[in-house]
Amino acid sequence: MKIAKVESQSKKLRKQAGDWLKELRGRAGLSQVQLADELGFKYYTFVSQVENGFGRLPIESMEAWAKALNVEPSEFAKRLLSFYEPELYRLLYEVKK
Amino acid sequence: MNVVRFPRMPAPFTRGWRTNELTTLAEACAAAIPSGEISGWEIGTTERGDPQLYLIGPAPEHDCILSISRLDRLYILEDGKGQVLFENHNIMLLAEQTYRALRKGKAEIIARLTVCWCAVREFFEEKIEPVVVEPLEVMIHFAPPFAVLA
Repeated sequence: MKIAKVESQSKKLRKQAGDWLKELRGRAGLSQVQLADELGFKYYTFVSQVENGFGRLPIESMEAWAKALNVEPSEFAKRLLSFYEPELYRLLYEVKK
Repeated sequence: MNVVRFPRMPAPFTRGWRTNELTTLAEACAAAIPSGEISGWEIGTTERGDPQLYLIGPAPEHDCILSISRLDRLYILEDGKGQVLFENHNIMLLAEQTYRALRKGKAEIIARLTVCWCAVREFFEEKIEPVVVEPLEVMIHFAPPFAVLA
């Protein structure tokens, strides 16, 4: 069986989001396990999934992540939107009326 | 003198994925590839070095639809939103659950399409059909007198 490795613009942006989240976690002085504990996860594997650029933070959990990482939730969500939905971000914040 | 035999501790697993683990999981996913449910896979590790396998969904988003991790000897199957779907020490059971999770995804798509189709049909029956049927009834009513005149 052969499965191709995939590469796309979405993936690149998710990776950038993951790197940014990793940086925030580092600044907050938390390990992946500690962050997962703060967020009430049973395992820390989803933190790794997101930081490695594969998973996306669900909208409903963004506030909890922001608080755990000591970031203002709206700024946190806005930055993540620029990675996860770049076109929507452009329309909302960059296109002038 | 009695000698107490302690059970031997099993050797720790290797840090990365082993070939037989990947083969078992690849076989579980094989059916989902031709139908386009998964477009590929990626391997990664956690901060602690625990191996992860990500099953990637179709283009253009290429979202992670399932993630399999191994923490020491425990396998964990999660969806792309971090929900734990299954956890077990047995790779065969994990492969079976992975297969089921992929099939469940497909079944959900079919169910959604069915609901859409039913909604469209109902809309057609409620709104369009009376518009089409009414003139037809009028025509049937007035057609015979006109036929006599012709």
